[in-house]
Amino acid sequence: MEESQDINRRSFMSIATWAIGALISAAFAIPGVAYIIGPALRGREAQEWIRLGSTSKVELNVPTLFKARIQRKTGWIVNEEELAVYVRTDNGRDFVAMSNICTHLGCRVRWISDQDHFFCPCHNAVFDTEGNVASGPPPRALDRFEVKAEDGQLYVLGG
Amino acid sequence: MASRLANWLDERLAWRQVWDAIFLRKVPKINWLFTLGSATLFVGVNQAVTGILLTLYYVPTPDHAYNSVQYITTEVTAGWLIRGLHHWGASALVVLTVLHMLRVIFHGAYKYPREVTWWTGVGLLLIVIGFGFTGYLLPWDQKAYWATTVGTRIAEVTPVIGNWILRIMRGGEELSAVTLARFFGVHIWVLPATVLLLVGAHLYLIIHIGISAVPKREE
Repeated sequence: MEESQDINRRSFMSIATWAIGALISAAFAIPGVAYIIGPALRGREAQEWIRLGSTSKVELNVPTLFKARIQRKTGWIVNEEELAVYVRTDNGRDFVAMSNICTHLGCRVRWISDQDHFFCPCHNAVFDTEGNVASGPPPRALDRFEVKAEDGQLYVLGG
Repeated sequence: MASRLANWLDERLAWRQVWDAIFLRKVPKINWLFTLGSATLFVGVNQAVTGILLTLYYVPTPDHAYNSVQYITTEVTAGWLIRGLHHWGASALVVLTVLHMLRVIFHGAYKYPREVTWWTGVGLLLIVIGFGFTGYLLPWDQKAYWATTVGTRIAEVTPVIGNWILRIMRGGEELSAVTLARFFGVHIWVLPATVLLLVGAHLYLIIHIGISAVPKREE
């Protein structure tokens, strides 16, 4: 009862005005923030098997570069992009598919055949034939794709 | 803590004086019609906030305008809401501006000493119409395209300088990418800058002079 005497008409109106103001601000701020960060939170679209080419192109113990055209939707634009994958095998049956994107800062690595390693020109990173870091700044080995061979054709899972 | 900070700032900024002048000023006995100006201001702020958000995704070129608007409406989280608020807010702003003007006319509130407030208000009405006209083209759909085709042709009817006006509006003889780009620029830079100046003057005058009372029979 004592408290109710403290709230007079004036302070009630003041509190009510602030409360409504806060409500309206929240009604703008919450959808506003969702709107700004929405596309950033969206994951990659569904992954699918992408055909790279014939398994016969892969020589034993030599990472071989395959390039595939893929469709990628960014915002409202559908772009045709190139997916580059190094495929390696040491027995002709089991394949390893490695991304050519350096795990340091995203430059493209290339296979230097006479030195038997991958090299990234941006910061002199070196990866061995398995994709493990041999020297330089990268934090981890080259990323790998899930890979399968069907009817003599190589496929990787991507999107 | 909060009040200590408030005092510290007040000592340096005198914000309480500003606050009191704006929100605790004396007003005569008035009615709900006197809130139309505040309602107009509120919807104006809504247009500014949602408009700024829309520019995060909207691209004003013939290649991308339509698709980026569709992207906002169908794919961006709450994009339908932000665009909807801007779309319906635009109509509400025109209606509220006119109602506010009618209230001022019927109460004779444009008379001495409030003539300058009235002039800035007339300027603001024209700018609101300008916002509506330029914003209508931006979705770049059939309705937008033909409405602007017709709108600029109406401007062409002006004697002597008509064709000149049409060419300046369109940025050439045809309605094109140039038209879309300049309508966008006017919509998000030129008009908002002008509106800011005029709203500032309008509000300053309202606070400085005070609002007029409802006219009485014996006066």
